[in-house]
Amino acid sequence: MKKLLLVLGLLVVLGLAVTAETYKVASDTTWPPFEWQAGTGELIGFDLDVMRLIGILEGYDVEIVSYSWDIIFIDVGSGSVDIGASGATITAEREQIVDFSMPYWTSNQAVIVLGSSGLNIASALGAGKKIGAQVGTTGAKWVQEQLIDKGVDVQLVEYTLYPLAVLDLVNGNVDAVVQDEPASRASAAADSRLAIVGVIETGEEFGFFVTNGDPKGVLPKINDGLQQLKASTAWADLIKAYMGGAELAKIEAAWTAAAPLLAAKDVVGFASALAAGATSP
Amino acid sequence: MSAGEILWQSVVPLFSALPVTLTVLGLLLVVGLALGTVLAFAQTYGRRPIRALCVSYEQLFRGIPPIVVLLFFWNGLFQSIGMPRVLVAALALGMRSAAYQSQIFRGAIQAVPAGQMMAARSLGMSRFQAIRSVILPQAFRLALPPWSNEYSSVVKDTAFICVIGGLIDLTRQAMMKVAPLSMRPGIGTQLVLPYLIILGLFYLVLTFSGTALLSLLERQLQIPGFEMKGKVER
Repeated sequence: MKKLLLVLGLLVVLGLAVTAETYKVASDTTWPPFEWQAGTGELIGFDLDVMRLIGILEGYDVEIVSYSWDIIFIDVGSGSVDIGASGATITAEREQIVDFSMPYWTSNQAVIVLGSSGLNIASALGAGKKIGAQVGTTGAKWVQEQLIDKGVDVQLVEYTLYPLAVLDLVNGNVDAVVQDEPASRASAAADSRLAIVGVIETGEEFGFFVTNGDPKGVLPKINDGLQQLKASTAWADLIKAYMGGAELAKIEAAWTAAAPLLAAKDVVGFASALAAGATSP
Repeated sequence: MSAGEILWQSVVPLFSALPVTLTVLGLLLVVGLALGTVLAFAQTYGRRPIRALCVSYEQLFRGIPPIVVLLFFWNGLFQSIGMPRVLVAALALGMRSAAYQSQIFRGAIQAVPAGQMMAARSLGMSRFQAIRSVILPQAFRLALPPWSNEYSSVVKDTAFICVIGGLIDLTRQAMMKVAPLSMRPGIGTQLVLPYLIILGLFYLVLTFSGTALLSLLERQLQIPGFEMKGKVER
């Protein structure tokens, strides 16, 4: 069996070397449901599967590299990795160091509090409150620009990881956490003490990004693949699988079960199997 | 699934990240030891310009935070030439450790009485022979206790290496598990703290076993009558 695997592996590697180009995709794999590490060790999530499926549609291979969030823009900017896929909001500031694809997801910021605190969205973000957010995210930026810079007396507490902000909320060290809606929904679903008191309609758009000027010419492929994907049933299936609030363990199991279809480059079949597995009762 | 089982599922990947941490730790100690020894002797016996050079190196690397050194080595220097990430991490932290180790060895060399050098030279030994056969064996013994301190310090420096993208060491692996763990329905957020304590235990075991080995080595090499002055008899 091992020998067979080795031979197969060699064939695959040889095949890749001859036929397809491989692009390195940097992603901060600490951010379910967009990207995380499954129990099997596989890096999965909405962004990563979109990347894999676009790769299949456009005929290139994708190697996912796990990055700390703050470093991704440096390394994509310098071109040592080819693509960034990490739930990144398209901003003018970031446009200066990287080139974004067309938007693929629109997100809003959700405000989470402890249900027992009795706070509503106004009081949670009101004077004297401590608000947690992940460093360098649009949630943190919103608190800074829309509250602190406008004279509201709140304190912004920044964390390297989003779950650590939630942990501090549970421990009562901050009053609220501002974070992208899907991740917030996943947290609230997992812990009954947490409640989402409101959604701030920032309407921010996520994009994949490449080195400024797109030296490898990969951006047109991403945009074209994205359009093809959105036109197929696979797009809705991916959203159903990852954004439907399913338990992460269930998505992981569905992904493992659907993985052979991914290996067989069956875009629509993979997405539909994933959605069916993740949403099955 | 019990809380213990859920926790264990997140602990298992730490074992697969352990080789990265151990490799970087091993390599950085080799780099630090080799370069640190050379620096120490150059700083003690070298001519003035060489001494000045060593002092600048030592001041530079002792004065910069490990994260900055790592980022500079990877993003600024070695990324473009395709050097493996593990080597870059080990080189960056090793060159930093060399600066600290050079001071440990310099202190140890200077703690060997000056008469030893004179005596060795008067027996007809060259300076190099005297250093190799007389000064170094004694200085090495004197350097062991502070060196074990440096060891326990660099074990934890390795937790910084994940600023090099794609390098998954113990700490980065743990950070990758924190999010899915915290989102386990019902129990997730309560498991994060125990999980981080387990991560701490990994480093504790690394530090403890290393320093225990070093103190064993210290006892093995001990020469009766030749100890640090003021040593307490137990």
